[in-house]
Amino acid sequence: MNIFKLPDLGEGLQEAEIVEWHVKSGDEVEVDQPLVSVETAKAIVDIPSPQAGRIAKLYGGKGDIVHLGAALVGFEGEGGQADTGTVVGRMETSERVVHEAAPLAPSTPLPGGGLSVGTTAVKATPAVRALARKLDIDLTMVMPTGPDGVVTSSDVERTAKLLTELGPPEALRGVRRAMAQNMAQAQSEVAAATVIDDADIDAWEAGADVTIRLIRALVAGCRAQPGLNAWFDGRSARRRVLAKIDVGIAVDLPDGLFVPVLRDVAHRDAADLRAGLDRMRADVRARKIPPEEMRGNSITLSNFGMIAGKYAAPVVVPPTVAILGAGRVHDAVVAHEGKPVVHAILPLSLTFDHRVVTGGEAARFLGAVIQDLESAV
Amino acid sequence: MAEIALVEAVNLALAHALEHDPAVVLLGEDIGANGGVFRATLGLQARFGAERVLDTPLAEGGIAGAAIGMAAMGLHPVAEIQFTGFIYPIIDQVLNHAARLRHRTRGRLTCPLVIRSPCGAGIHAPEHHSESPEALFAHIPGLRVVMPSSPARAYGLLLAAIRDPDPVIFLEPTRLYRLFKQRVEDTGEALPLDTCFTLREGADVTLVSWGAMLQEVLMTADRLAEEGISAEVIDVATLKPLDIETILASVAKTGRCVIVHEAPRTCGLGAEIAAAIAERGLYSLLAPIERVTGYDVVVPLFRLETQYMPSVARIFRAVKKTLEAST
Repeated sequence: MNIFKLPDLGEGLQEAEIVEWHVKSGDEVEVDQPLVSVETAKAIVDIPSPQAGRIAKLYGGKGDIVHLGAALVGFEGEGGQADTGTVVGRMETSERVVHEAAPLAPSTPLPGGGLSVGTTAVKATPAVRALARKLDIDLTMVMPTGPDGVVTSSDVERTAKLLTELGPPEALRGVRRAMAQNMAQAQSEVAAATVIDDADIDAWEAGADVTIRLIRALVAGCRAQPGLNAWFDGRSARRRVLAKIDVGIAVDLPDGLFVPVLRDVAHRDAADLRAGLDRMRADVRARKIPPEEMRGNSITLSNFGMIAGKYAAPVVVPPTVAILGAGRVHDAVVAHEGKPVVHAILPLSLTFDHRVVTGGEAARFLGAVIQDLESAV
Repeated sequence: MAEIALVEAVNLALAHALEHDPAVVLLGEDIGANGGVFRATLGLQARFGAERVLDTPLAEGGIAGAAIGMAAMGLHPVAEIQFTGFIYPIIDQVLNHAARLRHRTRGRLTCPLVIRSPCGAGIHAPEHHSESPEALFAHIPGLRVVMPSSPARAYGLLLAAIRDPDPVIFLEPTRLYRLFKQRVEDTGEALPLDTCFTLREGADVTLVSWGAMLQEVLMTADRLAEEGISAEVIDVATLKPLDIETILASVAKTGRCVIVHEAPRTCGLGAEIAAAIAERGLYSLLAPIERVTGYDVVVPLFRLETQYMPSVARIFRAVKKTLEAST
């Protein structure tokens, strides 16, 4: 039996007289159901049931004096409550154990956490934010003129006027939209470093196939430093160095950037590669290349020099860890055997993910690429 | 060390202080033979003697006055006020003497005094037993005001309060006394008295609270997480002096702030926090600050008590409001 004792009714009273029982032995009662009215020196008080259950026994009858802490009601069942003190009211008691992670004190904001992407990075009063919402203006696009870079309401209005004159913006779709997402992700994740150098290709025979030579040079680079032909998962800090070299070839189209993949380039001859490349380019232009043909490259080549530009800092897109950019082939005055001569130069830009590739590995890779490119055939 | 409830953590910290600092003295109504109205001092008189754990007459002003004298003369008294409803007679002693002894004597005397009192509603108590007077004390220059929200913080913060050279009002949420347990090591290690505790990190909204209300706040954070809303939860813990920097840094990150307290709304500590954010964090705000508080009434008796206290539903609605207000 579980015995409920007369609790402290507050005010320091030591005893109470039973006025009326509201329950009898054998009754089922609910929590808080009045059990008994007792009279103290100050008032008549209803004592609520501390628990649900069946009444086994009532101690005392009408007119009896009950002392503080004396047995009042017996409930069926085992055990009794721990002594929680002479509490007035009812205190919730439990054995529930709460495991709390160590508090973070003092709290330090994560470096760059959220600030770079959220609109909290923009300083603006709630009123200005409300105005921006009403006018459908993205605050990150507004040039602030207020003190400390605060966006003012006139800044929002100026931007709204400007955007009205420009007409509705074009929503990115398809390949261009994918490019926006992939590049932003790459930018936020990859520790990109770029190394540049030139290959002197003056020894090449006329009409040499630049792209095929670049692919062959990439293979030479991968043989020298296999760590650049790899996939890296930054979240789990795990990499896979890949045996097979599948080169993603950046192809520029009005619709956006396509990167179809030329498979297993280390084991194919020049003619086979050229045929594969032509077929792939034709498929891309016709927009009938299957999506699986644009996935799973192990390293990337961007031959932007066919358009313009000598050097660049190409973007490494995870999970790959390296991209080689080839600039415009041009004649340049170079030192050759101690004399100035005019040679054909192929500028190279190698971007690598410095989280997983060392500067030394990248430089040796580039060295092997140049060595391969500089041979006549 | 076993898992213990908050009231047992208070007992453990008091025992540790009595054991290791001969200057520590406890005094209060029924704290000796009886072990205190909530049993916070259970067994301490038997263990440390009636000279160090003193039963006092029923006179709160006298308890405070005696404790201030003891503190000024080099003891470290820890006084218990049985319920916060009975704490008001000590305000004269605390405001006019304890809080300004250092100032009045140009630093010659300090007042290393702790006044403990259970506080807050939620235990179906009669009038005078459910108040949350923290803002009254926080408004008095020269006082520290502390309210723990877990057994571990009760232990560490109470030890820090006892060791602090100045008077500390230590308010213990009665509702938490035996609500849950936590592993607490009796290492004697104090927690800092000048910092908030970030209980959970989040990105979308900052929930600021203290004491028993953190139960509802953490439950709300769980419910928000189910909807993909990530809430940062800050336990202010030391209400005066207020560590506003932690709160400002969090609001700069989330852009939204909901302050939750059980005390009445007008001039509650939430108003001070909201004002500080308005002064120094306005440009980060994506939405107006929300306060979820008790109402400007006497805490009602138990039939209406739950209507008075901020609930998970009320906090949840306030968070939703801050999210709807902003992009």
